[in-house]
Amino acid sequence: MISMAFTMLSHDGPKFLAMVLAIAMAAFLTQNQASFLVSFLAMSGSQIRDVREADLWVMDSSTECFDQAKPLKDTAAEIVRGFPGVKWALPLLKVDAPARTEAGKLSMVTLLGVPEQSKVGQPRMKIGDSSVLDERDSAVIDPGGMALLYPGESFRPGMRIRIHDKWLQIRGVSNASPPFTGFPIIHVSHSTAVELNRAESRCTTFVVGRFEAGADRGKVTREIRAATGWKAFTREEFEAASSQFYADQGVPHLFYITITVGLIVGAAFSGQTFLMFVKENARAFTTLKVLGFTHGQLAVMVATMAGIVVVLGLALGTMLAVGTSFLAATMPFFRSLYLPWQVTLLCCISIGLITLLTAGFAFKKVLNLEPADVFRS
Amino acid sequence: MSSVPNLTGAVECASIRKSFGEGEAKVEVLRGVNFMAALGEMTFLVGPSGCGKTTLISIIAGLLAPDSGTVSLFGERLSLLPPRERILFRRQNLGFVFQQYNLLPAFTAAENVAVPLIAAGWGRENAIRKAREVLTHLGLGHRTELVPQLLSGGQQQRVALARALVHEPRLIICDEPTAALDHRSGESVMERLATSAIHPDRAVIVVTHDSRVFHFAHRIIEMEDGLIRSSKTSESLNQP
Repeated sequence: MISMAFTMLSHDGPKFLAMVLAIAMAAFLTQNQASFLVSFLAMSGSQIRDVREADLWVMDSSTECFDQAKPLKDTAAEIVRGFPGVKWALPLLKVDAPARTEAGKLSMVTLLGVPEQSKVGQPRMKIGDSSVLDERDSAVIDPGGMALLYPGESFRPGMRIRIHDKWLQIRGVSNASPPFTGFPIIHVSHSTAVELNRAESRCTTFVVGRFEAGADRGKVTREIRAATGWKAFTREEFEAASSQFYADQGVPHLFYITITVGLIVGAAFSGQTFLMFVKENARAFTTLKVLGFTHGQLAVMVATMAGIVVVLGLALGTMLAVGTSFLAATMPFFRSLYLPWQVTLLCCISIGLITLLTAGFAFKKVLNLEPADVFRS
Repeated sequence: MSSVPNLTGAVECASIRKSFGEGEAKVEVLRGVNFMAALGEMTFLVGPSGCGKTTLISIIAGLLAPDSGTVSLFGERLSLLPPRERILFRRQNLGFVFQQYNLLPAFTAAENVAVPLIAAGWGRENAIRKAREVLTHLGLGHRTELVPQLLSGGQQQRVALARALVHEPRLIICDEPTAALDHRSGESVMERLATSAIHPDRAVIVVTHDSRVFHFAHRIIEMEDGLIRSSKTSESLNQP
């Protein structure tokens, strides 16, 4: 029965191909756009995750995400340290500043100050060692920044970048996660960051810290919030808040539209072609009915045909989506692009359900074929 | 034709009435038809277009339900069977040959012939093996792996005949089996039908316009305006 279904289906090569490609396109578009959306939203928490040592984040009450933060007063870290359940707390300085290279390339950059003593927030390195930050006026740049500010160039020690009126020596390339803003991420020592923080007198963008082992995190953050009026989050909460901030900006809706259109157009085209295929094979199905195929057997045939189309289409579309993710991940700005398995699963279920519906319609058409029509020439 | 075998009723229709449409558009196609086809015989059903031949064989095959009257196949009242049982009965007991062959274009000759066996639950390999045997018996042993498009009309009709025979049904219904063929091919198909299909435990009903093949009939039943007009045996046909 299954081989009969496959033979009938593959006999009409162009339609078979059109159906598979339509499902593949829907699967690819859906997964690709969903993976971009998920990855972009995940990027909003990149720099939070990169401060691996900290699991407590405290910030001004008006701060909504990592990229748009209002500084705290410089005694904030000492205040946070005083709360029970806080093991340690340090100021983290983030500065967005204009930068240019010797070649005249311009860009806004995000400077992150790494405290000289504790090294909290020091980056994982791709080239060089993070200890270079101890040297005066030295900086470490991320791969995205390299690609943006030094296009086509490989890293060489001694490359220079000017921030405000100060020239910094780039002494290594970090593995910092790509930020949502797309700005180059430049790590410097805390004191250098303070020196370049021209727009603000306060030098504590966030207070980062660690909970005591066994501390009730919810209770600690609640107490900090109640006593100071600031926001206090666990790392996971701050990541989620940052992600939600961008999700509320409307950008995801564009992705939702593309995903929905891809799903509907691809599945509808494939479904329509499948129904047309069944209609064009009405004589064959009528003959099978007359020759003694039961409704159950015909249902198996139609389901097998639909199943073959959807499995091949999903496999092809998923392969394309995975391939695109891998390809994009080789580009500096898309390093963190990934395809979550949940996206693939959801896509398969959605397309599977639409196909099931189509197969149901197709089977109804087959059931409604009048067997006596077999004698009409 | 040689001697007429016993006249055990394989198909018995009594007072069959069938109409299509409603109200003023209602057309009564069968107006109380009594019909019988015997085992071991080839019964020809002839008559002008629109006289109700196709409707009658559709009712005999259980593809249409009569408005009134009874149809009995080998003692079984098809109309009393539940739908699924009716399909199974048809699958087991009936074979069909159609005017336009109705072969599945995607399948080879052997696969086409194997369809009734696969429907009956045979494994594919066994079904194909049996199909090849039947095709070989019908002189198409060298054409088993060709798709219908690569076969001549006569060969396609022989494949259809093989499909009708492969599961050894007790009734074969042929609808204008020679209408799409030239005289020589038609004659050849009818010879194959006569030599392969006629069996003491089987009845064959042939609907045809083609008077050139009437000599294959054991009995010719002529229809006109939804009624049986005459019934003649081969002996009476051969009488001067």
